[in-house]
Amino acid sequence: MLLRDSFKTAVHGLRHAKVRSLLTMLGIVIGIASVILLMSIGSSAQSLILDQVRGIGSDLVFIVPGATKGSRFSSPPSAQGIIIKTLTERDADALRREQSLLAVAPEVRGQTKVVYQNNDLTVTFGGVTHEFFIVRNLELSSGRTFTETDVRSFNHVAVIGSKLAETLFGSQTAVDKTIRVKNLSIRVIGVLDEEGLGPMGVDQDNMVLLPLSVAQKQLLGIDYYNLVTAQANSAYTAEFAQGRIVSVLRQNHRITDPDKDDFTVQTQEDALSLLGDITSIMTVFLTSIAFISLVVGGIGIMNIMLVSVVERTKEIGLRKALGATNGDILQQFLLESMLLTFLGGVIGILIGAFFVTLAYLILSNTLATGWAFSLPPSAIGLAVTVSTLTGVVFGLYPARKASRKDPIEALRYE
Amino acid sequence: MLVLARRLTSMIEVSKLSKDYRDDGTVTHALRDVSFSIKPGEFVAIMGPSGSGKSTLLHILSFLDRPTRGIYTFLGNDMQTLVDHELAYTRNKEMGFIFQSFNLLSRASVYENVELPLLYAHMPVGDRRHLVEAAIESVGLSDKILVEAGKLSGGQKQRVAIARALVNKPQIIFADEPTGNLDSHSGAQVMEILQKLNDEGHTIILVTHETYTAEFADRLIKIRDGMVESDIRIEKRRHGGKDFFK
Repeated sequence: MLLRDSFKTAVHGLRHAKVRSLLTMLGIVIGIASVILLMSIGSSAQSLILDQVRGIGSDLVFIVPGATKGSRFSSPPSAQGIIIKTLTERDADALRREQSLLAVAPEVRGQTKVVYQNNDLTVTFGGVTHEFFIVRNLELSSGRTFTETDVRSFNHVAVIGSKLAETLFGSQTAVDKTIRVKNLSIRVIGVLDEEGLGPMGVDQDNMVLLPLSVAQKQLLGIDYYNLVTAQANSAYTAEFAQGRIVSVLRQNHRITDPDKDDFTVQTQEDALSLLGDITSIMTVFLTSIAFISLVVGGIGIMNIMLVSVVERTKEIGLRKALGATNGDILQQFLLESMLLTFLGGVIGILIGAFFVTLAYLILSNTLATGWAFSLPPSAIGLAVTVSTLTGVVFGLYPARKASRKDPIEALRYE
Repeated sequence: MLVLARRLTSMIEVSKLSKDYRDDGTVTHALRDVSFSIKPGEFVAIMGPSGSGKSTLLHILSFLDRPTRGIYTFLGNDMQTLVDHELAYTRNKEMGFIFQSFNLLSRASVYENVELPLLYAHMPVGDRRHLVEAAIESVGLSDKILVEAGKLSGGQKQRVAIARALVNKPQIIFADEPTGNLDSHSGAQVMEILQKLNDEGHTIILVTHETYTAEFADRLIKIRDGMVESDIRIEKRRHGGKDFFK
């Protein structure tokens, strides 16, 4: 039988049982729609996260106190709430003398209450130097950043995030207003542009930046740093800078055994690949759940095709009597199941795309940060391939059964 | 090896043909040492009571089943030497089938039903149309060409089946109780068409248990208990007509 005719016959077969065909397809439709939805949301989430991290700057090297033990997925002790005091001003000064580094920005972190008139809220504060604004590439929408003098002379000034400014002052200008941070009166000298999430998941739009000295000594009363961000000199790669930092710090801390490092140095690449891996694993995990529904749908197809083969026993006998070979019959039934799953796949893609669009409209409005619309061609290709393959895999058994029917028995079947 | 020789003195040669069915250790001998030959252009009626083996014989003759023993030569080809797809090919090219229960695809149109054998002949769409239309016309159903087969009367259905049997221009037509499900008027029409086809040169093998129907043939083979009981030439009826079937 010519393929074209087989195709026509298959379409005929499906059209004669429209409701059944549609119901049979439903499993595949739902499966494919969820695969599309999850893959595209996964890829949007991934690009969202990676874009934000990438926005920080690709030539940055992060130094956190404490060693990362075990796999690269384990977080450094400082992030686990263990206080490690090994990263100090001495280290920052030594790193500032390192040629491969353009800038070194030590910082401390904490939580504090910020009050302005009747408004008060708890936010993250960072104690930073003027270098921080350089390495992080932070732009101000108004006012100015810190000077070296601000840090050196414990000036009670602050640069605040854009959202925080709006919350505290509404439509009024923030610059030159005085706020209370813990028990200090602080004058706002600058407001950040909208920046979104920073490294370690800090919401930079709701953050208060204070001179390092003020935050470290007066608010926290400590003499170590939580994080040092270094920017590699453009003549050197981040990896090279990373190596230099490690050796400077080992020297400073008198460490000879690399296993005893009391610090962790990560380039942005490390962070990116880690985040990329995590989101990929999430996507694969979610997508494989969606594939389960595809398998269930496939079993539904097989079930219905088996019923259809029995129902059409006589037709099979007739076709064989009229000259159909086993191959012709196999092809006819296989095409039917493939057509079912292919159509199911196409409908699933359309429904999936609809929900992806819906998710985009909702998320891009609720999340201030850019939620990108993403319908990866790979997801569509995968969906079409997988759905058609489902038809082949689950249609093969019924089709073989049909093709092997004995023509006489089949013709006699009532 | 398939040789389709058109000009042979005998179209069908059956020699010591036997068919056994085994079921749970018991063996049923459906056919025992059946031998005969059929020339091109003959109209042969095969008669016998139910269980006599006539359907088994028809199935073997029409390549739907294989004998247990014996030799069956169709158009010079020993059936034993043919593989399944060659049997299918021969059925498609040289044989036409008419069944008691019509066996039409009831959801498909008359046209699509008649077209069916041509699909398995891999014939291009363009060549099919006039063959299908001519076959439908020859059974007088041109006005029903797009009607769903299931919506036709019994007589009309059987005529569609005849058109389907004809469309490939087969040398031989096997008719298995073609009037069994029809009223006498429709039955007469069907027999007249078969008669006309025989006149045009088609070999016809008719299985029936109705004497009247059998009388359209020019040869009558009676089967009983799987053996040929008698094989006689008869005077072919030339005027079936309505009174005949009353």
